[in-house]
Amino acid sequence: MSILAHGQASSPDEAAEPPARLSYVWKRRLFLAALAAPALIYVVAVAGGPIVQGFLYSFESYNLIRPTSRHFVGLDNYAAFWRDPTARAALVNTFVFTIGAVAVEFALGLGIALLLWRDDLFNRIVLGLLLIPATVTPLVVGLVFNALLNPDYGMLGYALVQIGLSGPHGLLADPHRALLTLIAIDAWEWTPLMALILLAGLKTLPADVLEAAAVDGANAAQRLRHVVFPLLIPAAFLALVLRMMDAFRVFDIIFVTTAGGPADATNTLMIYGVKQGLEFFNIGAASAVSTVTTLCILAMAFALICVAKPAKNRQA
Amino acid sequence: MKPFIPRLATFSFVALTLSAPLAPASAEARFDGVTLNLASQNDQYAAVLAALAPEFEKLAGAKVDVDILSYPELLTKITADYVGHAKGYDIATVDIVWSGQFAEAGYTVDLADWIKRDAAEIKVDDIYPSLMSSLGGYKGKQIAFPFAGYANVLAYRKDLYEAAGLKPPATMEEFVADALKLTDPSKKAYGFVANGQKGPAVAQDWMQYNRQFGGSVLDAAGKPALNSSANVASLVEYKKLFDQAAPPGAVDYDWGGREESFRQGLVANMQTWSIGAADYDNPKVSKIAGKAGILPSPMAKGLPQEYGIGGWGLGVNADIDPKKKEAAWAFIKWVTSQPIHKELNMRGAGSYLRKSEMTDPDLLAKFPFLPVIATSFEHGDGDFRPRIPQYPELQDIIGSAINAVLVGQADPKAAMDEAQAKAEALFK
Repeated sequence: MSILAHGQASSPDEAAEPPARLSYVWKRRLFLAALAAPALIYVVAVAGGPIVQGFLYSFESYNLIRPTSRHFVGLDNYAAFWRDPTARAALVNTFVFTIGAVAVEFALGLGIALLLWRDDLFNRIVLGLLLIPATVTPLVVGLVFNALLNPDYGMLGYALVQIGLSGPHGLLADPHRALLTLIAIDAWEWTPLMALILLAGLKTLPADVLEAAAVDGANAAQRLRHVVFPLLIPAAFLALVLRMMDAFRVFDIIFVTTAGGPADATNTLMIYGVKQGLEFFNIGAASAVSTVTTLCILAMAFALICVAKPAKNRQA
Repeated sequence: MKPFIPRLATFSFVALTLSAPLAPASAEARFDGVTLNLASQNDQYAAVLAALAPEFEKLAGAKVDVDILSYPELLTKITADYVGHAKGYDIATVDIVWSGQFAEAGYTVDLADWIKRDAAEIKVDDIYPSLMSSLGGYKGKQIAFPFAGYANVLAYRKDLYEAAGLKPPATMEEFVADALKLTDPSKKAYGFVANGQKGPAVAQDWMQYNRQFGGSVLDAAGKPALNSSANVASLVEYKKLFDQAAPPGAVDYDWGGREESFRQGLVANMQTWSIGAADYDNPKVSKIAGKAGILPSPMAKGLPQEYGIGGWGLGVNADIDPKKKEAAWAFIKWVTSQPIHKELNMRGAGSYLRKSEMTDPDLLAKFPFLPVIATSFEHGDGDFRPRIPQYPELQDIIGSAINAVLVGQADPKAAMDEAQAKAEALFK
């Protein structure tokens, strides 16, 4: 039954005003709010509270080794972050890693998803096998690749040196190739997840639209470009945002392979922030790094929304 | 199959050790109903400590739960526990380099008075003074009781030295010369290996070599002196060793990579902590079983013999109730007592403390390199890594600078000048 049928709310503005007796709209809103309340309370308590607390710490000089000397310092932690060349290098490296890793994973993931689109037994088996890397914890992935890429006794590292694809120190100790190597390791682990999300998106595409395009004479490339890709935008958006957020916070793989080196070549915001917080116990500085990380992720997510929304509107 | 008599002897020894006169320290005290939570670093001693802890409950009534943690996890958890006054851990293993931080923050009980009071019972004279002062001693306080002493030793390949007609090095000059002579990359043979990876790995190894080359991270006044001519010269020498005598991948090695390269038979010399020494002769994990020798680390000509020492103490949480503090102290006295500490080491803890352990026939039969550790402890230097509150930041600065030099991203003098400027800011 429509709202107008009740004659209680003839326009959206009027609908926003709570009348003396609750309308259907308000009852529905309250019902939905009640359904969402437990999750909201949980998020506020578990995520919102610490985020706000961390944000407030970022304006303090607060070191756990000297807890009594805690005091307000305004933006000093942010200024110190910006003045520190290591921190600036970490910021740049994090963006390079995130953009590089997500781009590679998206391109490969899309290719794999298209290859596995047809639903048959072989593809289902291949998909299951492909997901194995994503089930391994990143710490283990880092340790395994660290051993494999060792140029002295690592199976892969030794071979790469012999065929000239790696310098004598190995890929992970080469300041010019270490970050690229870590991007490749990340892609090895997370491309299957990207493929899985995109494949799920492909499976939801309406078959009649694709058939209509084929009947209209569109070839495979045209169908991909004008039908499949536009319809895949919501799934692609989800995959890109999820991986972007995760890649931006990369820590484990780098921690166990290069510890941020050689020099500052693979130092990222998380490596830098964890060092500040859990090695030096400098909570103020670590909170500032956390805030910068959160802002960067929000900015990248916003940029993705800005790109995806017009494309989706055009499709509509 | 293992012969019957030695098995019987081992069994009898263990049974005797764990039964009758376990620890005079806590024989009369009972702590029934008390549970002590012990946070332990995941070193070789941890599993043995956990296995022996129930014996203390039988003797003194207090249950000891050992929580075995990785290094970063241990430091994070106990610091959060101390700062939040949560009393989650009653006892914790305390790394030698945390002494300054912990003393300044007052996290753990100052044990100095208790040690003085119970000196005869503890048999303090049997404990190496270098370990007592380093593993918890700081500016008159004793923030932890020494528990697991490690010596920095030179592990070398006896077979390779013999084949080359060389004697093991007695000085750093000989060490460098031998390392270069024993290197032949075409045969994948290298004369030297050390940690090169950015961070604590390269910082800690370089600080040890730096001391042996005659450098010092701090000056006589306790202020940073990273760009002193001795330190820069030692870094130049260190880089030479990496460039000309180390496996190429060593610039990214941490402790695991370094040890593995030695056990795989790639290198002829490696300085390391004594705790790993027993493994070199274990054919299950080592390709060089029977070929490795252990010596005190060499010093440059003309320098006094001072050997790097490290390891762990046991600290008591300052926040816990007096009854628990008593129980914790009783446990520490028990676990570091002569029979129990010997038993720990018989079971492979690799963590020495007492002079009597170095001459004990059972231990010597199992670990023939003990005299080397004894020499190192007698002339031990626990301050080659400065045990000061600024240590974590200082270590990070050093670790970044040395790694940048090793991978060719910075010149030694320029890197140390930059590191010195950063280090000075820590001391303002």
